[in-house]
Order: sequence, then C-alpha cells, then structure tokens
Amino acid sequence: MKLMGLISTPPGMRTDAIETTATVVEQVRMARDTYRLRLRCPDVAKRIVPGQFFMVRPSTGSDPLLGRPFALYDVFEENGALAGIDFGYLVVGKLTSEMSRWQPGDMVRIWGPLGNGFPTPPPGRLIMVGGGIGQTPFLAVSREASGARRYGRPARTISANAERLTLLYGVRSREYLAGLDDFRRDGLTIRLSTDDGSEGHHGYVTELLDEEIASDPPAAVYCCGPEPMMHAVSERCERACVPCWLSLESPMACGFGACFSCVVKVKTGDGWDYRRSCVEGPVFRADELVL
Amino acid sequence: MSYGPVSRLAVQLNRLRLANPILVASGTFGYAREMAAYIDFRQLGGVIPKTVTPLPRLGNPPPRTVETPSGMLNSIGLDNDGLDAFIEKHLPYLLSLGTAVIVNIAGKDEDEFVAMAKRLDEFEELSALELNVSCPNVTGGVDYGTDPAKTEAVVRAVRDTCELPIIAKLTPNVANVPEIAAAAAAGGADAVSLINTVQGMAVDWRRRRPVLGNGIGGLSGPAIKPVALRIVWQVAKAVKIPIIGVGGIQSLDDVMEFIVAGATAVQIGTANFYDPGLAGRLVAELERIVEGEGVECVADLVGTLSLPSPSCHFQDVASI
Repeated sequence: MKLMGLISTPPGMRTDAIETTATVVEQVRMARDTYRLRLRCPDVAKRIVPGQFFMVRPSTGSDPLLGRPFALYDVFEENGALAGIDFGYLVVGKLTSEMSRWQPGDMVRIWGPLGNGFPTPPPGRLIMVGGGIGQTPFLAVSREASGARRYGRPARTISANAERLTLLYGVRSREYLAGLDDFRRDGLTIRLSTDDGSEGHHGYVTELLDEEIASDPPAAVYCCGPEPMMHAVSERCERACVPCWLSLESPMACGFGACFSCVVKVKTGDGWDYRRSCVEGPVFRADELVL
Repeated sequence: MSYGPVSRLAVQLNRLRLANPILVASGTFGYAREMAAYIDFRQLGGVIPKTVTPLPRLGNPPPRTVETPSGMLNSIGLDNDGLDAFIEKHLPYLLSLGTAVIVNIAGKDEDEFVAMAKRLDEFEELSALELNVSCPNVTGGVDYGTDPAKTEAVVRAVRDTCELPIIAKLTPNVANVPEIAAAAAAGGADAVSLINTVQGMAVDWRRRRPVLGNGIGGLSGPAIKPVALRIVWQVAKAVKIPIIGVGGIQSLDDVMEFIVAGATAVQIGTANFYDPGLAGRLVAELERIVEGEGVECVADLVGTLSLPSPSCHFQDVASI
C-alpha cells in the first residue's frame, strides 16, 4: 500500500544539503585499486554525520555525466577549523578511473550531505561489518562512537564506548585491505578475513560474526558491503535477535530523490513497496527490507 | 495562473503564459521538494512534477538507470502514488512555490486522461496540463503517442473537459514527429513538448543480460540533444504550434540553440540530476543574453535560424 497523508519529508531528504565546487587537497593510495580523496568543502564537512554520503562529479564535461555516491570516511581540519571531507573509493568504472588521476588543486563538484546516516550508536557493544570498499563508512562511525570526534551541526551527542567497538572487515585478498592504520588509531577491536587466507581468518567475514555473536552478543550490528554479504549478516542477526542496520549501495543518478532510480523493496503493512534508498536510507534496519 | 513581472523573458504559448521560458522536465525534478535545497523555485518559468497516473504504480524493477556516453538510460516505469496521493501530498506544496505548476499526467486510455483532467481542472492555480502520451517505459504509452488519430482524440477529449492549457509531450520514436504534432494541434493542444526520451538499451554481454531491469529504456542527456534539435526544427517548420524544446540541455548555449531552432520555451531534464541549481542560473544568464542580442524580448529570437529548411519535412533528413 502506498503511504497517504503521512509523509512529507523522508528522513534522508536533506534541506541543509548544498551543491558546491570543492578543491582536491590530496589523493592517497590506500590499497590495490583503492584510493582516499580529500576535498576541501567546509560547508559539507560541518553538516555531515557518519553513514551519510555525497555525490561527486567532474566540474566540466559530459562523459562521465552523472555524479556518483560516496560515503563519508572522515572529516578533516585545517588551522583548527573543519575544512572538508575524505572518502575512500575503489576504481571500478569510468568516473572512478578518471578520479584516480585527479591532482591537488583540481576543482570538482560535490553535493551533500545526503541520506539518513547510521543511527547514533547504542549503549553497549557495537559490531561493524564491512566487506570490500564497504568498510569506508565505519571510520566515522567508530570515531564518533569512541568519542574521538563529533559530527554534525549541532554536533550529535553520544555515549563513547571504544572498548565495546569491533570492526569485522573482509576482503578478497590482503592487498585490498584499506585504511587499517586509520581504524587502529581509536582503539577499537579489528578482526580481518580474506577469501584467499592471505591475512586474518581464511573465509567469510560472516564466520567471524558468528563467533562474536556467540561469545558476546552485541547491542547492534552495522553492515555495509556486497549484497550477498549483507544478506548473510542480516540473517545471522535476525536469528540472534540482534538489531542490524544495512547501508545500501543502490545505483543512483541524483542522490537527492528526484530520479527514482535507487529503489529498494521495503516491507509495508500488506507486502512491500519500492522506496528510494537515497532519501529513505541509505541506512535501513535489515528487518524493514525485503532482501 | 501567471507569475512574475512582465519582462522581456515572458513567453506566451497560446493560452499558457510563463514568466520566462525555462521549465524543468517531468521525471527529472521529483515533486520539487527534492530540489528545495538547491534551487529558488521562484526564478523558474515553471515546474513540471513527475508523471501522475490515476492509480498508484509500482514502477519497474531495478536497475532503473544506467549511464551511457554523455547520457543515461532510464526505465523508471512511472513509479508514482496515483492522483489522489498527488493531490493530497504534493499539490499543496507545489502550489506554494511561487512559480507556474504544470501537471504531467498519463492514462492508459482516453477515459483515464479525461478523468484526471476533470479532477485537476478544479485547481485553478494550476498553469497547465502536460499529457504524457509518450512514456517509453509503460506498455501502451508509446503506442498512444505514435498514432496521430489517437493523439488528436485524446488531446481533444481533454480540451473539451477542462479549462487548463494543454501541452502534449511527444515521443521521438516515430518516423514522423511533425505528423503527430499536427494531430496534437488539431486536437487543440496549446503547445507540444519535444522530445521525450529516445528508446535505447544497454547490454552486459558477459552476463548475457540487459543492464536495465526492464530490458530497454529511454535515453536522455546531452547525447540526444542533436535529435531533439532536429525534431524541434522540423516541427517548427511544418506545424503552427508553440514548441517546448527538451533534450540534453545543460548550458545557456543549448537553450539558445533550441530557441533559434523554433522552441518558445525549454525544459531542463537530465541536467537536474547532476547540476540541480542549473535551471535557476540559466534564467539569469538568459536575461543577459537577450539584452546582448539587442532584441525587445526573448520571443523575438524564437525560430530565427536562417538555414534553409529541409526540402522535405516528412523524410529522414539523412536520406535527403
């Protein structure tokens, strides 16, 4: 059934979003085919919270044409003031190939912050499960949850609990492991898995999640990664009665709700309906979704 | 209902008067609420929200869009909550924006178009209806707009039903757009919007599958601008009806190309997705260019292209 009379503004439809030109500050290789881009854009940095995203595209040209969504990795300061945002990306297509050649001083377009972001971390244990490039939203989550940084304007208040934070991070092979030093800075527990056994657990990250749930059930699980992985994580959480949030990566054209591309199946009273993941998500409670 | 001061940017499309010729295309601007952070609606000539159908439509399965060279394919499938929800949820907001609101409607037959028009006619603050007789992603949509007799009949039926100015949005996916445009004019349309998307396809050959969930979709963006210009030009020469040009506009030069080719107004479409503030900026830029061209008003520039017209309007230009 379609909503009637309810609505009006979905949680991720940001009236405080801005579209602006940003300057590339630095480009750092994080891992194989994986880079971190730093953009100077203080107005986006001041507003954004963990789990939100923004759209980025070249400032000129029409091929590539559309922006692409990227999740916040972290914000950065210059001279003691918030100056911009960092994001990690994997080179997979036309725009990300071009992006990997961007140099400091280049001007690009950015609009955001977009989407709802992760809920403020619960008191108690939080497990973050990242697969592939899907680990990138969790640096900001863990920095906020550990009390290392505050995000948003006004800044969100949360109860810090670094010793109760665990990142489970799985990749194909060790050369894809990105940003471990950044994650280690704030004292969370990190467990790794690789498909080929070249680092950490030889197998899937969900096997690590099984162990963690069995030994010390968390208050919540946040997950971002390939669809089959998110599916598996949400099944395990459901079985263990652990609330689980998924950050979805649906293909989208605009990021702000105009195009109706990024729809996902969301449960309703009598079945399901398509909802735009850019403005109703990208973070959903797993039990709201038809996976 | 008209907005804005009388200025050199004002344009008249039969019964429809707009403060300026910059509109935003249906399906690329959501229900305007989505764009509020990026644009001052009062700058625009008008907004055309996403197509409304009589009943809710789920739309097509994802993936619904894919980027192609200088363009994108979409197969959204008219995902919308239906007319009742539109009137309740979106119309009050739209009518508060301080710009002209043109409601784009699609029905599966004449009766549905007429019923929707009758209902919307109650809202005298509306500026016009745009009839979507050309959506490529819905069974029946293209068939409707590819038949001149059916196009004329549905326009006439709507015209007989309501007082609102009527725009027919036409498909390029026919051999002869001027013939369809002439039919729309004969039915009583105040203007035609040219063009809706060009049917296309993207293929993932390794998986032996189309990229879009619906298989095929509609191409939009700068890639189709030459097609749209060609059709605007052909229709302008062949049919006496005001034209709203749409297809790949992303700069003021693009706007001017459509205007001199014969468009009285234009719609910004796909560019809203990647440059959401563009339409507002174009209005200011247009004001400056009209001044620079030394004409009294923008309407004086419409159709001023001085190239010889094609020797035969009803043939493929390439074959001439």
